[in-house]
Amino acid sequence: MVASDPRVTVVTGGGSGIGRATAIRLARRGDAVCVCDLSEAGLKEIAALIEPAGGNLLTGVVDVRDQSQVRAWIAEILERFDKIDCLFSNAGVNARSTVADMTLSQWNLLIDTHVTGTFNFCQAVLRGMVERRAGSIVTTSSDFAIVGVPNAANYCAAKTALYSLTKSLALEFAPYGIRVNAIGPGPIDTPLLRAGRTPEEYENARGVFESRLPIKRLGQPEEVAAVVDFLLSERAAFITGQLLQPNGGQVMW
Amino acid sequence: MIEVNEHDGRVAVVTGGSGAIGGAVTERLRNAGALVHVFDIQPSSLSGAYFHRVDVRDESEVDTAFGAVGKSFGRIDYLVCCAAIYRPAPFLELRLDDWQRTLQINLTGYFLCCRAALRFMRPQKFGRIVMFSSMAARTGGVNTAHYAASKGGVLGLARSLAIESAASNIRVNTVSPVITDTPMPRAVLSDQEVESRKTRIPLGRIGSTADMADACLFLLSNDSSYVLGQDLRVNGGSTLW
Repeated sequence: MVASDPRVTVVTGGGSGIGRATAIRLARRGDAVCVCDLSEAGLKEIAALIEPAGGNLLTGVVDVRDQSQVRAWIAEILERFDKIDCLFSNAGVNARSTVADMTLSQWNLLIDTHVTGTFNFCQAVLRGMVERRAGSIVTTSSDFAIVGVPNAANYCAAKTALYSLTKSLALEFAPYGIRVNAIGPGPIDTPLLRAGRTPEEYENARGVFESRLPIKRLGQPEEVAAVVDFLLSERAAFITGQLLQPNGGQVMW
Repeated sequence: MIEVNEHDGRVAVVTGGSGAIGGAVTERLRNAGALVHVFDIQPSSLSGAYFHRVDVRDESEVDTAFGAVGKSFGRIDYLVCCAAIYRPAPFLELRLDDWQRTLQINLTGYFLCCRAALRFMRPQKFGRIVMFSSMAARTGGVNTAHYAASKGGVLGLARSLAIESAASNIRVNTVSPVITDTPMPRAVLSDQEVESRKTRIPLGRIGSTADMADACLFLLSNDSSYVLGQDLRVNGGSTLW
């Protein structure tokens, strides 16, 4: 690789929150960043943040659940940049409910987005990584892959499955020098934390989180982006199959 | 944003800083402009670091050395605990002396150093502590009951300290290496045995001191500002939990 050849990084769910903060951070450090999201508005926002600063950005409206959309977009990236070095599979969604009242569509939405979406993206980028014998992937799991919480059985199941997928990928692709790790964020101040909660419920939840967390504050998306940056980089060259938790001390295990 | 050198001028103590991993951490911090104090029983061969002869088992030696650093440099920002021994022995042949020596250096030494450092970190409302544990804490191993017990104790110590100290802007985390290319495993393993360990590690090699220093520097830096009480497992994928 010549020095002028930028690292090409794909970020899913990069229109807001952790994905957006990560895309911005990696663009600043010189990556060509390919960001997808379901929200066109989110993509416009990130373009306005990255492009005026001279960042190299490609955006796409992609439903990560749809394998043909994912493959088509990856093909578009490869056409433009020839290679993909890193993937941050981060697209996520929440639909809170007790198990008793949970609809099948609430269940499927989370499993399909988090688990199948990550499967789709990993499969699509790993072919090229195997050929090039190089690559690094980070997935967004959660503290809730380790502990359960009420009103979020679909979220917990999805994040735990995602963690298992990550570990299997790590073992399967280590012989090719490809590393796969997961992050397990704690409560981070993002739109997803507000999803499915009224403003009052959100304020209550925030208060509970803050009092219970050893660090006594919510995390910021930029603090998670720094961890993703580390895991994708050569600084983590000997780290694979691990869950690293920027969580304010919420879960230690 | 990444170019800002946050370590410049930080006062750091590295216990076991004359050893392989501790030496790599010391060198990286020194190169980044930190004022690094090596606490060890063996002199450090590194220039540009301050050496203090300290037996980490000895409460008064530890307290005196931290007191001296804190007094003359005004603060203690980072503590990296690396001082440890690895003396494998079959369990039934494990003498109480060997058990106690391992626990005293590998665990009680960490306690004493953390306590002494926290006397400065608490009032200054800033501190970063990284303790080196080991994958043996989780996996155990043949002939390593005492070593595994000491390293498991480190995880418990670190988590409790992380919870107790978070409100004072002190972050505590651990690094758990797998076999690393240092004199410590080579003292008890043949070259052939070291070579065969590689086949058990998915990434196909043993760890390097640079791998461990990278992990340690990450946990000392602002990049890990929301990471506390965590164990960073730097093991090439050999154990996934």
